[in-house]
Amino acid sequence: MTDILRRTGLALGLPLVLFVVWWVTSAGSENFFLPPLADILAAFTATWTADRFAADVLPSLVRLAAGYAIAAVLGIALGVLVGSLPRVRAAFEPVLEFLRAIPPPVLVPILMLIAGIGDGMKVAVIVSGCVWPILLNTVEGVRAVDPVLADTCRSYGIGGAARLRHLVLRSASPQMVAGLRQALSLGIILMVISEMFAASTGLGFTIIQFQRSFAIPEMWSGIILLGLTGFALSLIFKFFEARVLAWYHGLRRAERGRS
Amino acid sequence: MRRPLLALAAAAALTVSAAACGESATTSKNGVTSIDVGVIPISDVAPIYLGQKKGFFDEQKLKLNLKPAQGGAAIVPGVVSGDLEFGFSNVVSLLLAQSKGLPVKVVTNGISSSGEEEKDFASVIVKDDSKIQKPKDLAGKKVAINTLNNAGDTQVRASVRKDGGDAKSIKFVEMPFPDMSAALDKGDIDAVWIVEPFQSQLLADGNRIVATPAVDTAEKLTHAVYFTTTKTAQTDQDLVKRFQAAMNKSLEYADSHPDEARAILATYTKIKGDQAKDMVLPKWPVEINRESVQAQADLAVSDGLIKGDKKPDVNALLP
Repeated sequence: MTDILRRTGLALGLPLVLFVVWWVTSAGSENFFLPPLADILAAFTATWTADRFAADVLPSLVRLAAGYAIAAVLGIALGVLVGSLPRVRAAFEPVLEFLRAIPPPVLVPILMLIAGIGDGMKVAVIVSGCVWPILLNTVEGVRAVDPVLADTCRSYGIGGAARLRHLVLRSASPQMVAGLRQALSLGIILMVISEMFAASTGLGFTIIQFQRSFAIPEMWSGIILLGLTGFALSLIFKFFEARVLAWYHGLRRAERGRS
Repeated sequence: MRRPLLALAAAAALTVSAAACGESATTSKNGVTSIDVGVIPISDVAPIYLGQKKGFFDEQKLKLNLKPAQGGAAIVPGVVSGDLEFGFSNVVSLLLAQSKGLPVKVVTNGISSSGEEEKDFASVIVKDDSKIQKPKDLAGKKVAINTLNNAGDTQVRASVRKDGGDAKSIKFVEMPFPDMSAALDKGDIDAVWIVEPFQSQLLADGNRIVATPAVDTAEKLTHAVYFTTTKTAQTDQDLVKRFQAAMNKSLEYADSHPDEARAILATYTKIKGDQAKDMVLPKWPVEINRESVQAQADLAVSDGLIKGDKKPDVNALLP
């Protein structure tokens, strides 16, 4: 019980301190662009009403979810393929490293030519950035499958779908999850970037509109909401990771305990 | 969030730099004042480049440092923070800034509409085979605009309204000017609100003008101006007067020497040769058309760009 209290205390302590520091230092701020936190919070409740959530936050999250899901499926499928076939890997690796090095924001004008200016383009921007960490981590994970386990599978005649599911995906999953985690924070960044072009709804779009119309407290409130969204998504991801990788964390604990 | 200490350090650095950049213009021993002016590197600001070349600013003992910025949104904070002494901005942005309590004050004119249909600094262009024939046909259509809730869409709405169309139903899509041509070609959008040199490019490609919004918004509309802070305008009247004098001379010169204005474009934009020869130049009168500024202020309120009870005060904004 005290352990839980201590842990929540630690987790909440620093944010609370930062909040208080921000509140106190900004309290009498005369700087138009750095308004008092009190003003920002007042703007927060006035700005982020249920209507605006439905009109701007929801479309952003839906696009993020769609882009992230496509990137995950694409990244894992291609990653397993490339990772399990050494020849394919040798052929693909330089190209993949080249493609991943291209910053997605510069691709936006090109994606606009291919995918138009609708939601498709915005989802494509998210996919174009999120897919790389997932793909490359999956390739590494698949490549690093324990050869003893692989041999065991072979001698027991386990092949095809069963081998993929129980051996390849399972043993690559810690790295896949690491890739997915990286991709999530990238996805939030790209969600905002995709809304800087040809958008008319969205969280990123709204923040930019506030900045342009000099509604500075509202702009800050949007940035806070963006931070909170990222925080909430990472909590959800932690929960997901704890479930999917329970066996792995258990194994690690057991190994540590033994040595 | 994951690196709160870093964030704190960054916040502290931001505060310090914000405090440090409040310096005002520096005057050297020989009485020459060095000023930073924020401009958008487009044809609109040709007079200030031309005036600098012609020595109109030297005459006023001003050493001009022109700071090109991506857009007006970056210039207003620069001027308000004191980083820039003067800046170039469209009227609507300044009205928005003023309504939010930013201390901005217009110094002199920037550019004006020519007042001529189909021969202005900006127009709404559609594909030649488009069904859109008149401004009111834009109702319910997708129109590309460089900045939403600003001068462009306000003027387009005014144009459609004047023609008896439903201005509220226009769907504006924000995108940079250089991307508009391809989007129009592909049919992603039905029309574009576009400025020079893209305007003449699109026309040369066989597209056609369907509206000249600035003309429909007000007679000889003042589109953009040079501005400073209310503080500079009050405490450094001499500096403002000198800038005004040099700027007005530059405007007059550019307006009466269009060939030189076209030639100077190549020095600070990517507009070269034939392009500069063919494009429509804006008008650069010295006088600000006050009624047109009031008209834009009224539209900003009625279109909902400015909400709340703080109405724009045109007399306080203009010199």
